[in-house]
Amino acid sequence: MPRLILRLDDRLVNRWPLGPVVTIGRLPDNTIVIDSPAASGHHACVALDGSDFLLEDLESTNGTFVNDARVSRHTLHNGDIIRIGDHTLEFDAKHGGDVDARHAAERIVSNPGDTVFLDADKHQALLAMLQEAGADGHGAAAADASRVGVLRVLNGRADRPEYHLQAHTSFIGKADTSLVRLKGWFTPKVAVVITRSDQGYTATRMRSSARINGAPLTGHCDLKEGDVLRVGGLTLEFGFSR
Amino acid sequence: MRLQVGARTDTGRVRTLNEDVFLLRPEQGLFLVCDGMGGCPAGEVASEMAALSILKYIIRREKPNVNAAPQDDQYLPQSRRLRRAVERSNQYIYERAHADPDRAGMGSTVVGAWISGAIVSIAHVGDSRAYLWHRNRLARLTHDHSLIENGEHKNVLLRALGREATVDVDVRELAVQPDDYLLLCSDGLTNAVPEAAVSKTIARVRDPQRICDELVKMANRRGGPDNITVVVVAVVGSVWQSMWDWTRRLSGGHIAAADSAS
Repeated sequence: MPRLILRLDDRLVNRWPLGPVVTIGRLPDNTIVIDSPAASGHHACVALDGSDFLLEDLESTNGTFVNDARVSRHTLHNGDIIRIGDHTLEFDAKHGGDVDARHAAERIVSNPGDTVFLDADKHQALLAMLQEAGADGHGAAAADASRVGVLRVLNGRADRPEYHLQAHTSFIGKADTSLVRLKGWFTPKVAVVITRSDQGYTATRMRSSARINGAPLTGHCDLKEGDVLRVGGLTLEFGFSR
Repeated sequence: MRLQVGARTDTGRVRTLNEDVFLLRPEQGLFLVCDGMGGCPAGEVASEMAALSILKYIIRREKPNVNAAPQDDQYLPQSRRLRRAVERSNQYIYERAHADPDRAGMGSTVVGAWISGAIVSIAHVGDSRAYLWHRNRLARLTHDHSLIENGEHKNVLLRALGREATVDVDVRELAVQPDDYLLLCSDGLTNAVPEAAVSKTIARVRDPQRICDELVKMANRRGGPDNITVVVVAVVGSVWQSMWDWTRRLSGGHIAAADSAS
C-alpha cells in the first residue's frame, strides 16, 4: 500500500499507509497531525481518485507545495515531496501491495469511540470498494418504500372503494383532514392513525374501539397484506397497490 | 396527551469534554439531542449551535409563502417544518465553520422529535438515534448515517450538520399513545448499552428522569467511552385513562398483554 513519510529537518517523524482519505493539518482530528504553526487547522487532504492519489490543498494559509511548486490539486507520483511549513511528506507509491479498503477504513477511525465525519464525495471510492467486498450497510430497506399501501373497503358506507396510503401519516376519523372519513355521533375526530416508514405501515389506535383481524387493536400494529381493520362501521382490508 | 420528560448528559469516563447537548421544550413538544465533533472547542460549539438554531427556526413565525412549491412530499406540515429547520441549521453551522478558521471542520449530529397531538415527527442526521418503547418492545426509528450500522466502523459518519453546504435529512412520522416512551440518545449510549438492556431498564424503572439516570450509569459502568446523552419522553394519558389502565393492570389484563408482547 502506498504511504506518506513525514520528515522534519530530514528526521523521520512517522509513516502512514494511505487510505481512501487522509487529512493533514494542525488540529488533532486530522489523520496526519503536523504540529507546526505554519500548518492550517485542516491544511490538505489526499484522496483516492480511481487508482491515483490526489493531493488537495484545503485553502490553507501558507500553501501546500509539491517538489517546491505551490499546488491546489496535484496527482501524486512516486517520490513526490509534499512540503507543508517546514515539514515534508514523501509519497512512496511502491510500498506494499494493493489498497485494502477494509484496512483503510479502520485506519480512518483513529480512536475507537471517536466520532469522525467523512466527506461523502471523497468517500465514494471506499463505499464502492466496501460494497464489492460485500460489506454494504443497508439499502435493501429502501426498496420496499415505493410500494404504496391500500385500504380496500369490504363493508360499510364509504365515499371511495379504496384509499391509497401515500402520505407518511393517514388519519381515519371524523376530522376533515382524514383520508378515510367516518360518520356518526360518537365517532372521534381521529380514530386510527396509519403511519408509513421504510419498514412498512403501522396502525395505531387513538380514541375508539377498532379491531384488527377480529381482535381489539391495541398499541401499534404493523400491517401485513390481507389484514382486516374494523373501525367506525367500516371493514377495510390492507394490501399493496399493484 | 400529556408528556413526562427526563434527560441527562454526561461526559463519560474517557473524554474530558462533553460535546453532546440536549434541548427540551415540552411546552412546544420539541426535543433534541446533538452530538458535536471537531475537537475543542468547535465540537461543543457546533452541537449547541445545532440545537439552538433548530429551535429558532421551529418557533419563528413565518409569512406563508404563496409561491411555495406544491407540497407533494406526503409529509405533514410540522414534519416539513422540522426538516427545514434542520436544513437551515446545517447551512448556519456550515457558514460559521467557513467564516472562522478555529471552527473549521466542526459538525454535529442531530436527532429531533417534534410532538404535536398524537403525531411525532422525527428528523435525524448522523448516528444519534430515536427509539419507541411500547409494552416491552423497543423499536429503532432511525437508520444511522454511518459507514456500517452496527459494524466495526460504526463511528465513521457519512452525514453530519455543518460539513457540507446542503444535507439530506431523514424524516419520519409516527403516532403515539399513552404508555409509549420515546427515547433520543447519542451514540455514547448505544455503543455501550445493548438495546435489550435499554428496553428492560425502561420496563423496570418507568420514571423518565430515573430511566435517563440509570442508562447513563450503565454506559459509564461499561467504560463510558464517549459522551452519553439520553432524553426520555413518556406519553401519559388523561387522569381517567391512567385510572382505567391501573384497574386493568390490577385485574391482570395489562400484564398479560405485556408478557405476550415480549
